[in-house]
Amino acid sequence: MNWIVNDLNIKKQAENLGVSIWQTPSFMLMILGFIIVFVMSAVFFASREFMSPEFLIIAEAVVVIFILIVGNIIIQSMEKLAKVNKIKSEFVSIVSHQLKTPLTGISWDIEFLISKHSDGLNKKQTEIIKNIEASNVAMSRMVNDLLDVARIDQNNFFTRKDEIDIVALVKKVVDKNNVLTLKNKINITLLVDDNMPKIEGDEKRMEVVLDNFISNAIKYNKENGKITVKVQKDNRKALISIKDSGIGIPKDEQDRVFEKFYRSKVASIQETGGTGLGLYIAKNIIERSGGKVWFRSVENEGTEFNFSLPII
Amino acid sequence: MENKKILIIEDDLTLRNVLAEFLEAEGFKVGVASDGEEGLEMIKSFNPDIVLLDIILPKKNGFEVLKEVRNYKEKLTTPFVLLTNLGSLDDIEKALELGATTYLVKGDYQVKEIVEKIKEILFKEKK
Repeated sequence: MNWIVNDLNIKKQAENLGVSIWQTPSFMLMILGFIIVFVMSAVFFASREFMSPEFLIIAEAVVVIFILIVGNIIIQSMEKLAKVNKIKSEFVSIVSHQLKTPLTGISWDIEFLISKHSDGLNKKQTEIIKNIEASNVAMSRMVNDLLDVARIDQNNFFTRKDEIDIVALVKKVVDKNNVLTLKNKINITLLVDDNMPKIEGDEKRMEVVLDNFISNAIKYNKENGKITVKVQKDNRKALISIKDSGIGIPKDEQDRVFEKFYRSKVASIQETGGTGLGLYIAKNIIERSGGKVWFRSVENEGTEFNFSLPII
Repeated sequence: MENKKILIIEDDLTLRNVLAEFLEAEGFKVGVASDGEEGLEMIKSFNPDIVLLDIILPKKNGFEVLKEVRNYKEKLTTPFVLLTNLGSLDDIEKALELGATTYLVKGDYQVKEIVEKIKEILFKEKK
């Protein structure tokens, strides 16, 4: 049997396992020591009246051996779990670096080519480059989504605190989806409160959130469908609503919409490209920014997603 | 702006070159280093107004660079912008604790957006 801990240096252990000091095997061993002393005394005081000294010794020994065995099993399995988590988070970190660096390289080089060295490129060549860019954006998005999910699961998810001009950001995302909007013949109306104050949140991630809601509203809409995007101020919150006239979410699936990897059956028929991660990530980003998200949906009539964000 | 000096410590050749060209086009004087040790030398010799620092670097990583700079400069006055593709809570908190001004996840930004962020920081520092 592998006995409880080999190295008693708490700080080193915490670092190696990637846990806090009170989660290290050495610390838990100390706690185990206290428990043993406590239980031994309890057994002693409780039974000295009616037990002979020989029985008392045997009783104490049985109790101590029992606690040691159970304690050892618990500590070892916690150590194993910590090791697995550490490996997982290292893996996420490696993937994040090794995949994102070349993707960033492609994206920056395309930007470099288009913005500084596009003289002499003909229309066809420019179009091809734009296609490469679109594929690269899709791939980066996929990698980012997977990394976000891994980090959310590990509670290692970080969001910046930028000052966001939410109206400008909404307009940017609507423009970005322009090609898809035209292709699906969708009419988008934008209703915005005047003098909307800035909000606090992670600008890049908020762009992803908005893009999820808006591109969903386009993709799961009907031909000649409508979308209304509203940005309003309500007390100390900004309220954003995205309402479509699309296929809607069936009633029995509505409480699973924000689940990881969940895709509505009607959605999968209409659009094959999704992963079921978008809304899960969106909910996490909104909640981590101090906001809330909710929706109303009627099958075959449409869906309205609402979310709130704190105003600065 | 013409006199402002920017040091890029980045091991990826493509990213380093693209960023340097964009910044030079804006009139900045740009120095580059491809590993942590070279970066530390350049911080002394080039004396930049702002440092763009990657985290995963050969010889000395970004965290070690920050630690060493803190050792020989009592107070970190030069802004350090972590330009990284790591982006987990642990990494970012560690970098901010070590005195980084801010961090940007490279892959999330276009080059021109990064240039804008750098200008914002330099402008704020000036005031």
